[in-house]
Amino acid sequence: MRELGATPMQSPVNWALLGLIIERPSYAYELAHRFERTYEGALALSSVSHVYTALTTLKGRALIEEIPGTRAGRQPKPRYRATAKGHADYRGWLLGQLAEDRRRQRLFVLQLSALARKPEAALEIVADYEQECLAEAANVPIGDHDGAAAEGTPALVSRLVVEEHRLAVGAKLAWVQYARSELSRAAQAPAPRR
Amino acid sequence: MSLLSLKGVSKRYADGPRERVVLREVSLELAAGESVVVWGLRRSGRSTLLRVACGIEVPDSGLVCFDGRDLAEDGGGVLGAGIGYCRKAFRSSEGQTAREEVMVGLLARGMPPSTARSRAEAALERTGAKDCGDLRLSELDSGEAIRVALARTFALRPRLLVVDEPVSGVDLIERDGILTLLRSLADEGTAVLASAGESTGLTGADRALTLGDGELRSGPAPELARVLALRPSPARQASG
Repeated sequence: MRELGATPMQSPVNWALLGLIIERPSYAYELAHRFERTYEGALALSSVSHVYTALTTLKGRALIEEIPGTRAGRQPKPRYRATAKGHADYRGWLLGQLAEDRRRQRLFVLQLSALARKPEAALEIVADYEQECLAEAANVPIGDHDGAAAEGTPALVSRLVVEEHRLAVGAKLAWVQYARSELSRAAQAPAPRR
Repeated sequence: MSLLSLKGVSKRYADGPRERVVLREVSLELAAGESVVVWGLRRSGRSTLLRVACGIEVPDSGLVCFDGRDLAEDGGGVLGAGIGYCRKAFRSSEGQTAREEVMVGLLARGMPPSTARSRAEAALERTGAKDCGDLRLSELDSGEAIRVALARTFALRPRLLVVDEPVSGVDLIERDGILTLLRSLADEGTAVLASAGESTGLTGADRALTLGDGELRSGPAPELARVLALRPSPARQASG
């Protein structure tokens, strides 16, 4: 039988839950509530029991451990904390997300290049892509943080998320200008001789 | 009827021996209370578009109308009254305070000094630069400088505020405050036409457009950007 830790953990829910435990050791029920608050709109639990399944997986992979002594009493409620391996793997996974973003973006461009022989069609897709980017850019929430006065981790995290989003859209808009310029040139070039 | 209307506007510049088309048959409508931001790369023509839109530059062809009036015929009369073009640079003397800077345009229009002073104070307060009134212009940081520049234009009570790259050069942490201010001015009925070289500047716009190769392209009408509360409201703090 293959060891549980041999294959990389894929579930975004499991990784997100590990992040919460790294932030602060918690009970399962509390984790479910923190999960909903933190990842609202980005990631969803199918049910509260999803947390218990995820905790079992994280424990099986030695990414978390029960805090000793928390099972005492008539209704034991174990609390969980991250192991050193959990901290290290989580950092690795976060960095891996950058590669995943690059992979997705590369895939999009490669799929678009399937239309390279029909630059007019590719230009239409680029135009639609630009429209999506513009709508996204305008819809990014405005951070009402009154200058540098906003404090606390939630405010900081919100600012980081918003700024990452805005800068990413800006890069895409710049790419659209470049792609349009290249594709327009290709559209005007004489067709290759067969 | 649109407050501002550009129809088939074209503009070319000589670029050495060549001719560069900056605006190619550009059309744009802007309603009262609407916020429109034009994004473009460097040298895309976004600043030219804004100057043409408020009558500072005359297009080679096409029509620019403000409130139904052709700017080619009545540009001088509208700029500074109905249209406020916000220059970010200060050309005033070294020792001038922010309040005096805001008052200059009002005094030049014949307003009595006491009225100009109170109007300037109100404009500085509205743009979040109330505490900057006594500061010298050279003492303002980037965020304060744009707020004072906006106050100088806003004091003239324009119906259309035109501003080139309002958040360019402003600290990241200060940018949302400027964008929130522009959004609120639009919500109060002042149309806003702005440009952006960075995507941050598109936040909060009713419509976002791009300008490239002389062509203006519009995005779909987005939902109004929600304001993200980054600090607990007093009510929540009290209950928590």
